[in-house]
Amino acid sequence: MATSEIRGIDEPAAGVKTGPASANLQDEASWRWLTLSPTVIVFALLTILPLANMLYMSFFNVGWAQGSMVLTPVGLQNYRDIWGDNLFLAGIRNTLIFVVAATSAEMVLGFGLALFCSRITRGRTFYRAVFILPILIPGIVIGAIWKLMYNFDFGIINQLIGIVSIPAQDWLGQYETALLSVIIVDIWHWTPFCFLLLLASIEGLPQDVYEAAKIDGASFWQELFRITLPMMWPAILVTFVFRMIVAFKVFDEVFLLTSGGPGTATEVVSFTIYQRFFTEDRIGFGSALSVVTIFIVLMLLVLTLSARKRRKAGA
Amino acid sequence: MRISRFGNSSPRVLSLLLGTSMLVSAASLPGRLQAQEVAPITIVINQSPWFEGFRCIVETYEDETGNVVELDVNPFAGSLEKQRNSVRAADGLYDILIMNSGWYSEMYHGGFVTPITDIDPSFELDPAVDSNDDTVYFDAATGSSDPESGKLMSMPIAPLIPLLMYREDLYEEYGLEVPETFEDLLNNAQALHNPPERYGIVQRGARGPHTVAYDFYPYLYGHGGKIFADQNSGDFTVTLNSPKGKQALDYYIQLAAEAGHPNTASLDQAEVIQAMVTGKAGHIMTVIAAWPQMDDPNKSIVVDKVNLTVPPHAPGYPSAPAFGHWLGGISHNVPEERKQAAVEFFKWYQTPESQIKFAECGGVPVSLAAYDSEISNEREFRWMAPMKKGLPLAVNIYTFPEAAEVIAILELELNRAIAGETSTAVALNTMAEQIHEVMQRYGYRTGMLEPLAE
Repeated sequence: MATSEIRGIDEPAAGVKTGPASANLQDEASWRWLTLSPTVIVFALLTILPLANMLYMSFFNVGWAQGSMVLTPVGLQNYRDIWGDNLFLAGIRNTLIFVVAATSAEMVLGFGLALFCSRITRGRTFYRAVFILPILIPGIVIGAIWKLMYNFDFGIINQLIGIVSIPAQDWLGQYETALLSVIIVDIWHWTPFCFLLLLASIEGLPQDVYEAAKIDGASFWQELFRITLPMMWPAILVTFVFRMIVAFKVFDEVFLLTSGGPGTATEVVSFTIYQRFFTEDRIGFGSALSVVTIFIVLMLLVLTLSARKRRKAGA
Repeated sequence: MRISRFGNSSPRVLSLLLGTSMLVSAASLPGRLQAQEVAPITIVINQSPWFEGFRCIVETYEDETGNVVELDVNPFAGSLEKQRNSVRAADGLYDILIMNSGWYSEMYHGGFVTPITDIDPSFELDPAVDSNDDTVYFDAATGSSDPESGKLMSMPIAPLIPLLMYREDLYEEYGLEVPETFEDLLNNAQALHNPPERYGIVQRGARGPHTVAYDFYPYLYGHGGKIFADQNSGDFTVTLNSPKGKQALDYYIQLAAEAGHPNTASLDQAEVIQAMVTGKAGHIMTVIAAWPQMDDPNKSIVVDKVNLTVPPHAPGYPSAPAFGHWLGGISHNVPEERKQAAVEFFKWYQTPESQIKFAECGGVPVSLAAYDSEISNEREFRWMAPMKKGLPLAVNIYTFPEAAEVIAILELELNRAIAGETSTAVALNTMAEQIHEVMQRYGYRTGMLEPLAE
């Protein structure tokens, strides 16, 4: 029996003394809290403590002398320095472009592929396997594959465009094409993620609605815009949010393909933090960058979810 | 010897087990191995082209002495992180840290390595061993590499410097002379420039951890330029944007434009080496560690066709290859017997016999005894003569622990200048200003030149 049902029936009015049934319920709730609390506490600590530690370190400069750590409190200086860090600012700009472009393209392509797979009757398993293949490949291998494909001298892309007399391009080395080239790799890598989530959603849609629409003579586009998309909206939003957050964390593709170059053309936030925190060993400043980045991701999340709420309220 | 690559869960336990097994073997096969004399040690090292030579020499050490050495092998950045984690812990995991020129200073200043002579006061660096621009010494009071006032902090392990590699067969075909000056190099590169089949020179202009900046140093210092006025005397006045610095950067870009690869700004070291071994480059200036690939028939179509010389220079200035060397330091937080064992390894490593063997193994020796030995006359070892010539000329670029921040600035702005996004004057002024800010932030005695006219 579901707990909500029991509550609905047995919930006592205010001021009414509770009987044995509600006492049992209270026991049950206490027991539930008691058994769950260790997990909740551990989980909370594992989540909160590292973040709290990072926040704490962001107010210090960390140095080393005679083999020991030397913490120098600097107040908000690390945060003030962020706005003078041109690399980080370029990283924010590029990351936002990257997130919007890559996530939008992956959503559209993933949805198209999911729709295609849900409609065909023959070869569905084959197509599914092919479409999800890129997501199974390790990031380092993807870097190698695309580094070879983009190679100026012997890359397959330049060889193909050479057939139609288009001059070879330095895809990863030109300002005009570098970020776009990395976005294309990300789309290739992550579209299967959107495809899988959206396919699961499409296949879960009630078929009787489609049958009714068919009887009413609805066209494909009418079905798509008036039935499929409205019913899938929650799944689309969840997929979009997941992808957006993961896209914001992009690192491996940039690290492997361009190291943020040429210039700052492909600099992204994660790469800047890697540079500042690990390579330069600026633990305090790197922590401040990380805190600001987490804040930006949370803001994006809040904005997206509030857009959903507004849409719900307007519906 | 046990080698663990890119991951190591319990090296102490395993090395103890190995040590025990070695003892058992030695006891059961008298005469084959001597009894183990010192504690087993663990060396953390990077996986680089010269690693196989080092592995070979460590095996020889084990065979000759019966001592046990474990190698923890990592990618470049991974090695640094492991070293940092180990030396910052209460008990260190690694006894010998193989430190790059980019981070040895961080280890010295942080107090993470124990001076060798503090462990064994009788230890002396063999006179034939190159001190790598005295970077093996450190004076904690002044922060300088002064052999007089400083202590011996480390043992040179691989004295890597860049050399100019050129196509000897094409030089003969075109009747070219080995270049001495930058002008010679430009002329020769133009003579061999036949794109897209072959580029006169392929340079390393991409932005990376230490990519374009490392490629640029021989041009900068070979033109008489410098990043700082005089680091060893504590004068960190930024002199990068001097007229000589501008000449150097202008030349670098001219070379790329007139005789180089069209996409110099996106090429890293692997692509530069690849261009040479695939016959697409007339010249490359790259670190000596890449040499074994040139004569490896499995990797190269130019076997026995490449020769080397020291980097060219502007008239009136010496050739100035920049150190990208590796030093071995003994961790401060390991037990005393392991520190002693590490010193024993260094004593053996610096002997002329070991160094000749190291060269035969494919390593780059630190002792002039190897460069003067018979093998240096053999065709296979033709890289030894220019190395011998280049080592005394080599310059150490950074002596302070915050070097990574300066390198990051150089990587970005040099790349932008080479890509044509900014002018050389703007790039140099920007770099100088930002480097000055970094040095000021850390309290160094610093200053700036007047900006170049833009």
